[in-house]
Amino acid sequence: MIWRFGLYESTFEPQWYSHWALLAILVLPIFIGLLGAFFTPRRLFPVALACLPILLAGALLIVDYLQVGLLRWQWDIAGVELSLRFNGLSGLMLMITQWVGTAAAMYTPGHLQLTNPGKHARWLWPLMGVLISALSLIWLAVDLLTLYAALELMGLAAVGMLLLSGKPDALKAGMRYLLLALVGSLAYLLGVALLLGYWGELDLKSLVEVVEPSPVSWVAAALIGAGLALKAALFPLHGWLTPVHENAWTPVSALHAALVIKASLFMLIMLWGILLPDALFAPRLVAWLGMLAIVWGGLIAWRAESLKTLVASSTVGQLGYLMVAFPLLLGSAVSPLPGALAWEGFWLQLMGHSLAKAAMFMAVGNLIIATGESSIKGLAGTSRRLPLSLLIFGIASVTLMGLPPSAGFTAKWLLLQAMVMTQQWVAVAALLIGTLLTAAYVFRVFRYSFDETAPRHQYQPLAPGMDLIALCLALAAFALGLLAHLPLALLQGGGA
Amino acid sequence: MITLLLLAALLWPLCVAGSTVWQAYRTPAASRDYFPLLWISASWPALLLAFSGEVQWTIDAWMLGGYWELNTLSRPWLAFTALLWSLAAAHARGYFSAEQRKAQAGDQGAQRRCQRLALLWPLTLLGNVLLIIAQDIASFYLGFALMTFAAYALVLHSGSNEARLGARAYLALAVIGEGLILGGLLWVAGSAETLTLKGVREGIVAADDGALMALLLWLGFGVKAGVIGLHVWLPLAHPVAPAPASAVLSGAMIKAGLLGWINVLPLGVDGLSPALIQLGNIMLVAGLAAAFGAALYGVWQRHPKAVLAYSSISQMGMLTAMVAMGLAAPDVWSLILPGVVLFAAHHALAKGALFLGTSISEHMPRWPQPLLFALIALPGVSLTGALAAGMLSKWSVKSALYEMHHEGLIMLLTWAAIGTSALVSVCVWRQWQQRHSGGSDAFQWGAWLTALIAALVTPIWLPLPVGSVEVPPASEWLSLSWPFPVGVMVVVVGVLIGAGWRRHAVVQTLPAGDLWWLYSDLTLRGLRALRVIARACEKVKMASVTFSLALERTLMGHLKRGLFAEAWMRHHGSGLMMAFAVILALLLMWEGLR
Amino acid sequence: MIASIDYVEVGVAFCLVAAALACLFDRHLKRASSLFLLFALLMSLSWWLFDAPGLALAELVLGLTLTGGSFFYALNAFPATAEKVPHYDRSLHRWSHKVVRAVLALAWSVMIGGAIWFLLPDMAYSPTEHPLIIAAVVIVATAMGAFALHRHMLRRLMAFNVLGSGVFLLLAGMAGTMPGSQALISVGLTIAWLGTLLGVLLIRQLVSLEGLLALESDSDATGHAQ
Repeated sequence: MIWRFGLYESTFEPQWYSHWALLAILVLPIFIGLLGAFFTPRRLFPVALACLPILLAGALLIVDYLQVGLLRWQWDIAGVELSLRFNGLSGLMLMITQWVGTAAAMYTPGHLQLTNPGKHARWLWPLMGVLISALSLIWLAVDLLTLYAALELMGLAAVGMLLLSGKPDALKAGMRYLLLALVGSLAYLLGVALLLGYWGELDLKSLVEVVEPSPVSWVAAALIGAGLALKAALFPLHGWLTPVHENAWTPVSALHAALVIKASLFMLIMLWGILLPDALFAPRLVAWLGMLAIVWGGLIAWRAESLKTLVASSTVGQLGYLMVAFPLLLGSAVSPLPGALAWEGFWLQLMGHSLAKAAMFMAVGNLIIATGESSIKGLAGTSRRLPLSLLIFGIASVTLMGLPPSAGFTAKWLLLQAMVMTQQWVAVAALLIGTLLTAAYVFRVFRYSFDETAPRHQYQPLAPGMDLIALCLALAAFALGLLAHLPLALLQGGGA
Repeated sequence: MITLLLLAALLWPLCVAGSTVWQAYRTPAASRDYFPLLWISASWPALLLAFSGEVQWTIDAWMLGGYWELNTLSRPWLAFTALLWSLAAAHARGYFSAEQRKAQAGDQGAQRRCQRLALLWPLTLLGNVLLIIAQDIASFYLGFALMTFAAYALVLHSGSNEARLGARAYLALAVIGEGLILGGLLWVAGSAETLTLKGVREGIVAADDGALMALLLWLGFGVKAGVIGLHVWLPLAHPVAPAPASAVLSGAMIKAGLLGWINVLPLGVDGLSPALIQLGNIMLVAGLAAAFGAALYGVWQRHPKAVLAYSSISQMGMLTAMVAMGLAAPDVWSLILPGVVLFAAHHALAKGALFLGTSISEHMPRWPQPLLFALIALPGVSLTGALAAGMLSKWSVKSALYEMHHEGLIMLLTWAAIGTSALVSVCVWRQWQQRHSGGSDAFQWGAWLTALIAALVTPIWLPLPVGSVEVPPASEWLSLSWPFPVGVMVVVVGVLIGAGWRRHAVVQTLPAGDLWWLYSDLTLRGLRALRVIARACEKVKMASVTFSLALERTLMGHLKRGLFAEAWMRHHGSGLMMAFAVILALLLMWEGLR
Repeated sequence: MIASIDYVEVGVAFCLVAAALACLFDRHLKRASSLFLLFALLMSLSWWLFDAPGLALAELVLGLTLTGGSFFYALNAFPATAEKVPHYDRSLHRWSHKVVRAVLALAWSVMIGGAIWFLLPDMAYSPTEHPLIIAAVVIVATAMGAFALHRHMLRRLMAFNVLGSGVFLLLAGMAGTMPGSQALISVGLTIAWLGTLLGVLLIRQLVSLEGLLALESDSDATGHAQ
């Protein structure tokens, strides 16, 4: 865990440009977001141009990491120690965040133009900036205080974005999400309080050295686990997820499903890795819940009436795949090879799902905008008129189904290998059933869209680039599967 | 040079077929000549090839690796086959002249029929040639299958109801036969890992289930060669096919079955398993049963070509018995093989001449009728072994059997010859009854006469190894020729008795095709039973579909109700979170304090 | 001196628990909001007792003024007819619902209490040594239970705030007032206020769109519950 999450002293100082790059990735999104609120971009290109420096800064950090290894920053502000680190894993997460964020930002002008939501839509930009900054901070932070602040910031920004659509349903769903997210963070804070009270350490690197199994660490792990599981929408605490996604704007849903819930999961796995180095049963409980999640999410998505519910429910199932890997990631009982395979499979699945889910939400958003219908039945006859959007949906679902050559396939392959090695046959069965269910709900969409008997509707033409961005994301999920060795090498660079 | 000839032998029929197609598109119907000299010449390169010496070819690029050979067996075989094809083609030009005139006059049906025949004739020939020279499984099977299926059109030619029935019987049995052959070949090839026919022979000897493989192959080729039980297509197809087609069917293609046996069965090999020897005995019995049964049944037929078909079955029965000796008494085989080849060649030409003769009696040239019918009968007389090549071939078989002391078989074969002569007499008599004059053509009778002469002097032109044919000593002539007069006497007496009692009606209703009618009746009953079973199955299917639909509805209902749990989870999110934390804490405590 | 402080602490702790319970379980919304103000004042007092004047000030500003003000801001938006009839949360719960919540709250208090028992060994000898921590445990467990129990959005928001205060109190009680915990609490207070503000804005929007009833039902957007 210490190596995997980069909780050790760095050998070299970061290069001079890394400090600036760090500043850029944390501050620039907020700044550009504020600019966006003032200038409200109507076109795709200014947005792309504005995102460029952030992407460049992220790339610079990775270059530096490849050169000098782990990067660490530490500040002491009024007696409070704040520390950040940049290793392969945070680099990967940062890249995914920035690229998916950029795609969502570039998608937004077209979406806003077509849906015409009113004046308050301008606040989407700063909220998006805050969200990206908070996410970047979560990937980098290694002290409990920064993590808490970033988590809360991210949560509030996410709620704010979800509320912008302004429909009563969205407000209700958003209120539920807000309350649960706040309470979830309080549970996390309660756990932190116990840790701080007992060991007096907020910095994870110091905590890792002093922590030992005791009732305090167990209760703290339970509280942190429950709070973060609620925020990460892990089954059975996922209830708030579907209505939230259903009523939010497309780019917001995409960002939320792709990144926000992943951040809580990331923290969960990192903190449990520190607090529960030898636990056996708690990860197994999560894994069993994960199997249920795979089946349940698949069933819900299969019977869903509305397109966005389908996509949101599929997130529940896909998170199940990640949960199933918990026993292989945590605990010292796992032999090294399956442990390493599961570790790689876990993050590959997470990244692949982020890209594919964002693409899927955009494809579905395009379909809904074009047809003006949000139900699956409303898709009838779209196979002729909107083949590109359906194609993107198909490519994204290939990743979700885990068919080759997508990232989903590579990830599930790795996970399956690890599970077969450790003889977790139930988990293998759950994985396969999940694939079947995914196929079932995906083909349900196609079945309706290939209905040729439907009357011809007048379709709203899409803004330029909306399909293209989604297609790029979906293809990126493919590329991630084909070039899986690159991210995996980055993941191992930290010494897994 | 000889390779060029080989290429020509295989490609020339293809070119001929191509030219027929070309002509069909280019030449107007009125001036179209379906059977020109070019068409007749399709088999000439093959004939030349047969007389140009022994040689081997190995062609790796061909399918699974081609291995072709002209040896002591395939040379004479190719010779008589190609000769018969050439003569039959020449005869066909005369035979179809009336139909061609009709086609040129604008009869669509005649045009189609002529076109079909002209196209598929060279293809059938090609298959026949290929299977004779092939020594690897793939080429051999390709040739055999091509010949079998292309010949379908030859049987079907006239398109009448009888022709359809005959063609259907032919096709049904051919498909069964091809299936058996393919199964047998694949089985042997798989178990012995071989691609050549020689490997097949060795594989059958070596394999544990060699007898079963041999049985499959025997029956498969037996369809062509008219093994009793599988022979039913012969008397149905021959009468309806055009005379030249009947000639090649009965003369050349039937012999392909025989060649198949000789090629794949381990004949004359020492140390066969008891099961294979047992198979040889079964073949022997089946062959003799065919030899006698066909004669007994055939004499009652009205149609001369049906009579000839039964004669073919009878003759092939004899050949089957001889081949069976290769399994049952392997030491005989090397002695008997030249006799078998000569017998086959002579029978091919003689039966060809007899079939061509049926068209002569229908379109008699203005010759003296006694001379004409004497000529028509002549190949039949030779076939009984009473004179010329027939006597030589009989003798070469008999002498081999004498040498190895199989007198019982000799006696049976001699008695079978009585049946042959009876059949020939009946055939000639029927032709006499149904004779017609007019419509004769020089090609027609020319080819017939040539075939007749070639049949009588078979040993002279057949490229057999030197010294394998010898003239029987004068003392044996009587023992070879007595079955002919006896057979004729039997027929004459029978006809006289029948005329006296005036009871033709009973005996003449025996239909051609004998067992076919039993088969078709059994098949119909079987189909009826199947239909009943199918109906029952359909009911079961309907019931299960209804049940499954109901089940699906119920399950979907349950699922939909079950999915309300989602709403429950949504409402109790915070409670669930509390419970989750408590459970996690308990679990960790329990594990940690254990 | 020590004894007097103890009495003050016990008294404050008792008052905190009483105010929290009253605030959590009063159906009269305006009264509950006023009780929350009282609770925040007591919180500020307890920060003073913890020797953290900065936090006490922050609590006064963020907790009392801003957060408490937010609740009244939300109540202000309720329709004018409410002038005569006071705003009540009229939603009723099945008893099984209540029992389960009570059991869960008990379980939480036992869980947290157990951890604290282990964490502060002197608690084992004299439970009254840290009356504020005990009060905090009770407040946290009860607020959590109330949060899970209530349907009314405003009351849930209030329960969240009480819960937050309890957590902060626990944090300060266990970790002392070292810079780290002070920073955590300040961040927490700010976030709680921001969250409450967001929630209040949301409630106002919802009331203006759908009326008061929308606040009481936790009904689904998808509409296939209840």
